[in-house]
Amino acid sequence: MNAYHSLQKETKSQHGQQRSETNIDLHQVVKTYETPSGPFTALQDINLRIQAGEFVAVVGKSGSGKTTLLNLLAGIDRPTSGAISVDGTRLDSLSESQLAEWRGRTIGLVFQFFQLLPTLTVAENVMLPMDFAKVVPAAERQPRALALLERVGIRDQADKLPVTLSGGQQQRAAIARALANDPPILMADEPTGNLDEHTRTSVLELFANLNADGRTIIVVTHERDISRYTDGQVTLVDGRVADDARAETDTQKR
Amino acid sequence: MTRLLFIKLLRDLRGIWERIVLMILALSITLVMFSAVLYTWGVTGREMPRAYLSTNPASATILFEPGLDADQMAAIAAEARKQPGIIDAAPRTQFTLQVQQEGGGWGPNPLQIFVAAPDDPMRIENFTAEQGSWPPAAGEILIDRSSFDLLNMEVGEVVIVQAPNGQAASLRISGVVYDPALAPSFQEQKGHGFISATSLPVLGEPVALDALKIQVADQPGLTVPGRNRDVIVAAALDLAGWLQQTYGVAIREIQVPTPYAHPHQAQADSLLLGLLAFGVAGLLLSAILVATMLNGLFTQQIPQIGIMKAIGAKSSRVLQLYLLMTLVIAVASTALAIVPGIFISRAFAPIILTLLGVDAESLGAPSWMYVVVIAAGVGVPLLFALTSLVKTSRTTVREALDYRGVDRRGDISTRFDAGLGRLRGLDRTVLMAFRNIFRRRARFLLSVGLLASAGAVFVAGMSTMAGFQASVDRDKELRRWDVDVRLAVIDQVSSVALTNLVAEIPNVTRVEAWSVLQTSVIPPGQRISVTRTYPDQGHGSIAVTVVPPDSSLIAPPPLLEGRWLRPDETGTVVINQAALIEDLPDVRSGDTIQLSLGGRLTSWLVVGVAGSVGGHGGGIFITEEGFEAATGVSQPNLLRIVTGHHDEETRTAVATAAERALTDAGIVVRSAASVSRSAAAGAGHMLPLILVFLGLSVAMSVVGFAGLTSTMSTNVLERTREFGVMSAIGAPASTVRRLVVLEGIFIAVVSCVIAAVPALLLTAIMIGVLPMPVSLPFQISIPGVVIWVVVVVFGAALATLAPASQASRLTVREALAYL
Repeated sequence: MNAYHSLQKETKSQHGQQRSETNIDLHQVVKTYETPSGPFTALQDINLRIQAGEFVAVVGKSGSGKTTLLNLLAGIDRPTSGAISVDGTRLDSLSESQLAEWRGRTIGLVFQFFQLLPTLTVAENVMLPMDFAKVVPAAERQPRALALLERVGIRDQADKLPVTLSGGQQQRAAIARALANDPPILMADEPTGNLDEHTRTSVLELFANLNADGRTIIVVTHERDISRYTDGQVTLVDGRVADDARAETDTQKR
Repeated sequence: MTRLLFIKLLRDLRGIWERIVLMILALSITLVMFSAVLYTWGVTGREMPRAYLSTNPASATILFEPGLDADQMAAIAAEARKQPGIIDAAPRTQFTLQVQQEGGGWGPNPLQIFVAAPDDPMRIENFTAEQGSWPPAAGEILIDRSSFDLLNMEVGEVVIVQAPNGQAASLRISGVVYDPALAPSFQEQKGHGFISATSLPVLGEPVALDALKIQVADQPGLTVPGRNRDVIVAAALDLAGWLQQTYGVAIREIQVPTPYAHPHQAQADSLLLGLLAFGVAGLLLSAILVATMLNGLFTQQIPQIGIMKAIGAKSSRVLQLYLLMTLVIAVASTALAIVPGIFISRAFAPIILTLLGVDAESLGAPSWMYVVVIAAGVGVPLLFALTSLVKTSRTTVREALDYRGVDRRGDISTRFDAGLGRLRGLDRTVLMAFRNIFRRRARFLLSVGLLASAGAVFVAGMSTMAGFQASVDRDKELRRWDVDVRLAVIDQVSSVALTNLVAEIPNVTRVEAWSVLQTSVIPPGQRISVTRTYPDQGHGSIAVTVVPPDSSLIAPPPLLEGRWLRPDETGTVVINQAALIEDLPDVRSGDTIQLSLGGRLTSWLVVGVAGSVGGHGGGIFITEEGFEAATGVSQPNLLRIVTGHHDEETRTAVATAAERALTDAGIVVRSAASVSRSAAAGAGHMLPLILVFLGLSVAMSVVGFAGLTSTMSTNVLERTREFGVMSAIGAPASTVRRLVVLEGIFIAVVSCVIAAVPALLLTAIMIGVLPMPVSLPFQISIPGVVIWVVVVVFGAALATLAPASQASRLTVREALAYL
């Protein structure tokens, strides 16, 4: 059995259970920034619940608060008021260090500009979160990294430095890295914003496949045609949830 | 530290190896400087006292008047050893000879002779005979090794000398001695020799010894010479009183130099203090450099820290990574610096010791200093980087991902920027470059601090040189005469007779008869004068300058207090500030002091305190009338001659003619020489010190530029994306290059402004620290300032050229993909 098939098997067996338990709850979340021209409220009274296994797109215009929301969900930023809990864990109760540890085990993050560490090879970039989280035994990290790269279709690029890869390949590497510790939740900020049409489609299909494994996926995007991949969309306007179209879509999908 | 992070660390270091090498080199340079100075400080501080104490110096010298024959003095010395607190005693004498030059005539540089009985075991004030042995036979002399060049002598040569009695005699040089208790001849412009008392008849001098050298313990029963000068003075006074009572001898003076201190100890201490100050300044500069460079390095890594944290790295792990990076740099710098530091100190310490006339027994620094250097090399970078390290490792993911190489700015900055933007006619690139230097305020301050420190040190070094030169010029200006003729006062000859003899000589336009003689301050209630004079009779002594009534050769020195002497007034003195500090610390204008003059106790009213300037002579000024009234004699011992032309040829010709004229008239001339000899003695004391300071300043400047280059590289790297955006919106490569170079130049200009006050302060400190016989005038070297400004601006442009070119060559894609 090759590494890819073993990975698929592991993913289904280990995380099918975990996925069903990991809900994300936001209650009355407000985020305000202090700026030279005074306080600026990026998010206002956000109440949101994301079920385990959902594929949610957060859409909205620039400045609507999408990235701020994603940062709050990933524990990158803290709300000014309100509460965020993931699978019952209140993020505001965790220190920065605990958040880093939690993030390493629970969240896979994908950024618009890929954000691969430039001095590590693609495989090493994928192995690094495993070193941090120590969920995967040391001996299995390299085979697992290669398997993940196989899964995202860039196994042959494993030993190259990120700078030698195309944008699409770098984004795939970033997705593989996000999957390193097999997190139940994958969050992506404009993951296709820097990619061509063909690559965009293949990346979104990759997300859909990962969601099909039972993983919760939250994508912040401008893409209008993402709805065919997602369970629903949350639309933000001026920091408020203007539309939560998940229920119907979810029903339709199911 | 995980294996992958270690790999990342190595690759990060490899990726920025030029900057790492620059950083290591810059750190190494400062560390080499610091370690070399520290080792030299350690070696000199150890070797100088060791060498001095190896001569077993006397605690005190009791001078008799007149001297006694050698046997009688030996008996007195034997009895003196039995007195409480006296460890040892030895009879000696000393006087000064003139040495005949090759072409005839007495040379300008005197030869001081130390005399001991032939059976003197030389336990006190001994020396090492490097050639020949003690005692030299009658008619033979051992010469201090530093005197040969000055007096143009050779071993085996027979020299013609003139004794104090004016009689010429021959002495054969039978050996070479090393006496580290004496200041080197090239500094003093005076030779030193040693003869046995059996040679005194050869010189026509009486076989009499007038000095009893004693060693005093701090407590009776101890056998180690004491360190407490008060105890030594008390014991010497007791012994002198006992000698007066028991033997009926007359005591002229007691000389108690500072215990355990070489005559040039103050000079050495100041030099070492200065060196150490530079060493610490170097270390401080190094610390600023480290902070600047590492801060830049860490800042550049902020986006990557954000990513690592986003994928699960804790702050502690990030801290470990960058701590290790700092350690690698610090350890590499220290390893590189250790050997050159040792080599430089081994080359430098002998130079300093030679200047002080001391041979080193070992050039190895004390072992604890190596520990200090390693601790400083590794610890200081870590210590100064710690704040940056902790701050950087605690950067949150959000801060890291939002990072664009700009500090968060407040209203003030915004208003400042807005104000700048409204300036009309200002090139936008210039405006942008000026704004950019404030973007990373901490780094800006560090860069400016680094360059300003180097600038301040450089300008202070140059200013001290300028002060020294100004002092020489001022002395030249104050020294309104061309030739000094020193006379042996054997027979009373009037001033008028002396001046008339010389006035007839061609090219002589004016002659004045002066007196410069040694004195001592006697505290109220004490009958015997106690001085700080060293055995060479120069260091630690105070001179009285007797000013002729109608003198046109003295311009009153700048007065710090009171007034200058009035013509014809008696009973008044003006004291030189240097004498005031050393011997009369509590005396002010209006006080009365007692001086021993020609063996008489005299009383004087202090009417003024003069600044310490060279050219005049003594530390205490009195009028000729005052001297006569106090001592009852008029006894000029110095003729000051003004020549028609002031070139060396005229001066030398007049000096020779004056010597001949006086000698023909039966007057014993000690020396007749151009005043340039005094200047040579002054330069002998000071120039090495100034050169040392200037050399260190240049080294620090080099480090400053290394720091700027590194800082600008960091600035460019961390703004890679920004340059990409500029290119994307149409900025040509030349604009990007110009922008970066202008930023470097602005930093350099701001550093020059910031350096102004520290340069002034440092100059004042250096002028205060340097062991000058006269106070240096405070002045800032304009050439120094101009050189620094030009060097720093061009240096900054050059230092930023490489980073600027690098920035201008970036493609838009590379720049936007940069992490």
